[in-house]
Amino acid sequence: MPNTIHVAEYLDLDVDSERWHCHSCGQDVGDARDNYKKGLLIHERDPGEVHPPLIDGEFTFAPNPEWIRILEFYCPGCGRQVETEYLPPGHPITHDTEIDLDSLKRKLAAGELRIDEHGKLEVAT
Amino acid sequence: MSYPSLEEKLAALKVSEPTAYERSCLDAVSPGDYEIGVQRTADILDEGYEVFMRSSRSQMGVAGDSIVAMFNAQGDLVNASAGTYLHAVIPPIVIKYILKNFQENPGIADGDIWYTNDALYGGIHNPDQVAIMPVFFEGELVAWTAALSHTTETGACEPGGMPVSAKSRFDEGMNLPPMKIGHDHVLRHDVIEMFAAFGLRSETSVTVDLRARCTTADRVRVRLLEMFAREGKDFVTGLFRRMLIEAEQGARKRLASWPDGVYRCATFSDSAGTEHGLMRNCFMTMTKKDDTLHLDFTGTSPENGSSYNAHPQAVIGHLANYIYEYVFHDLPISSATFQPIDFEFPPNSMLSPAPNAATSCAVMAATGAMSSIANCVGRARFGTTEWRQVTASLGNGGNASVLAGVSQWGMPFADMLAYTINTEGQGARSHSDGINAYGFPWCAFGRAPDVENMENELPMLVPFSQHWPDSGGAGKHRGGVGTAQLWVTHHVPYVVFMSIADNSIVQTPQPLFGGYTMCTCPGLSMEGVDIPELLRAGDEGTLDLASLLAGKYGGQIVSETYARTARPVMSDQVITLGISTGGAGYGDPLDRDPQAVEKDVTDGLISDWSATNVYAVRFNERTGRVDPEATTAFRREALAERKARGKTWDEFHEGWSQRKPPEEVLGLYGSWPDAAVVNPLMRM
Repeated sequence: MPNTIHVAEYLDLDVDSERWHCHSCGQDVGDARDNYKKGLLIHERDPGEVHPPLIDGEFTFAPNPEWIRILEFYCPGCGRQVETEYLPPGHPITHDTEIDLDSLKRKLAAGELRIDEHGKLEVAT
Repeated sequence: MSYPSLEEKLAALKVSEPTAYERSCLDAVSPGDYEIGVQRTADILDEGYEVFMRSSRSQMGVAGDSIVAMFNAQGDLVNASAGTYLHAVIPPIVIKYILKNFQENPGIADGDIWYTNDALYGGIHNPDQVAIMPVFFEGELVAWTAALSHTTETGACEPGGMPVSAKSRFDEGMNLPPMKIGHDHVLRHDVIEMFAAFGLRSETSVTVDLRARCTTADRVRVRLLEMFAREGKDFVTGLFRRMLIEAEQGARKRLASWPDGVYRCATFSDSAGTEHGLMRNCFMTMTKKDDTLHLDFTGTSPENGSSYNAHPQAVIGHLANYIYEYVFHDLPISSATFQPIDFEFPPNSMLSPAPNAATSCAVMAATGAMSSIANCVGRARFGTTEWRQVTASLGNGGNASVLAGVSQWGMPFADMLAYTINTEGQGARSHSDGINAYGFPWCAFGRAPDVENMENELPMLVPFSQHWPDSGGAGKHRGGVGTAQLWVTHHVPYVVFMSIADNSIVQTPQPLFGGYTMCTCPGLSMEGVDIPELLRAGDEGTLDLASLLAGKYGGQIVSETYARTARPVMSDQVITLGISTGGAGYGDPLDRDPQAVEKDVTDGLISDWSATNVYAVRFNERTGRVDPEATTAFRREALAERKARGKTWDEFHEGWSQRKPPEEVLGLYGSWPDAAVVNPLMRM
């Protein structure tokens, strides 16, 4: 995959087209200059659905659902859970990865960085 | 007073400019000799680390939760043996402060022993204490040595050195700015008496640990002098400077391979001391450009009126835990590896509080930073050939418990139980599960003490120890699980118990790439339990967490937050259930190998419930083994369900952006949602 970087477990970055793609199914997930989460499906869960209460009372081994929620981000193509985030209700979703595409393209063009056969960046020797 | 400003502390972390003499010495270090010299420094430090553990008295000192370090004449960290990587950051600030302020009075001389534990001057929190010695060769200051460890008594308002009820630094007991506590190679007796007085609850461990730090710093000093005598001053001076140069070059080269960009992580916590409330305990914005990193903590919740605040260098120390363990693991533990990294701390945040703030539980306040750095670096690094070093966050619960009183040997004591904190789960790795009960996130080398040692040293019994099922975050790769132990008072009329942590209402670490984080940790004790029956079950090996929680031994479970203020527990009563958190999970749990899920169930690392409901594995009811076809079909169904229930970004925000946590839990948070300071804090 020329000029495609495997940037996260379930995310590829096509440097030429500046698009995010699902690493599992290839689904286009949006503009790589924008938050990749905007191209994913989002589902909110009560944390107790994943971390069940083991005892009665206020403190139960399960996060308090009034304080924190689990947001799951799915690939619209294959349903893969690309990301999860534990956020208080209403808290803005984190823009966690904002790659400087101009810098990346410049360094690739200059031969400072190269992409190996596994889609991984390395300093050119 | 002249305690260093934030700017002065950050400047002290940077490597000093080489002198003309140092430059001239670089040529004295030829290839081959350089590598041997580097190894020699490591050998000296490792010897010091061993001496330190054998000389210490407190549980954490014996467990190796410590560091031994050497510095050049200007105070730059050249190498260390760890132990606790977070302590590596402290001494350059302190040594450079001593060099700046005390050259004339009281003067710096051969045989001096310097000491500090005050975070205002560059420490982590006041239980963390450092002995520092200058190294004079042929009458000239040529180096410094240091030994740092945590002692669990400071004469604070509660036993154990980390009072959860402290409101300001004036509740935290002994805080010593950098001062000379010995001269001519002799520790002053009046100073030892002062330590004994502050450490009245646990005089032996406080004074023995004090001596252990001094002994260790001196051992490294002696070995360094042997090296200077054998190899010559030019060689060792050149070696030290070359090590700094090479460490910086190595760090910059590593950073240069990551894609430039901005990486962010927001983490949350639930308590400040005894007050419950939601906090954004870290909002990290990591900007990576060329061979540099810039870490900005703007957006972190305001400082609070408890001891859950951390001065900036303490935060940087917590970043060092991760950075030295995973990023610069093959480079010397050196000031130079931090040379390409700059920091920005918003004033009056819980990660940059006022000078009078209580910070004795700084290690709790900084868990968000410690988790966030794993997350941000993981995102920056996964797209490179270093992807195998990417992990989800370590446990980072730090569920520390303190016992105090008079031991079965008639000795006053106050000590932290090292088992729980030294058995947290490792975060899941990009290529495999996290290690179960891997260790102490604050000290990768810390060792869980033997139960026999605990029972011999402290007036308690430990009826069971086990891996704790479902404590590791689920994922394609599972977070390592933590442990559970039961503690029962024994041999004495009572002990005083207290506990330090948060993570009972929300967990701080964020998972990575579609995994889940670990579950929360309540503070559990038991009233009216049939202790003789429980101990019999312990002897038979049938006692475990599940049977306790199911009420098999009668009585009543009392569930509180893990942080609990000091209280007495009478003889032959349950003190608490000590639990350590697991690591965060990595990747989609539906991608986990079903055979690995089956093995986890068999090994007691996850429950049947999780296997079915989180990992979507189906078992053959007759054989109890994985049913591959049914699992494949079930998972296919689960993937389709996700696509059906998931909302687009805009659809989701129609409802989500209108919501907010209950007002009554936002008292510590700051403004919603950006966590800016709303009301200045007043401390008495």
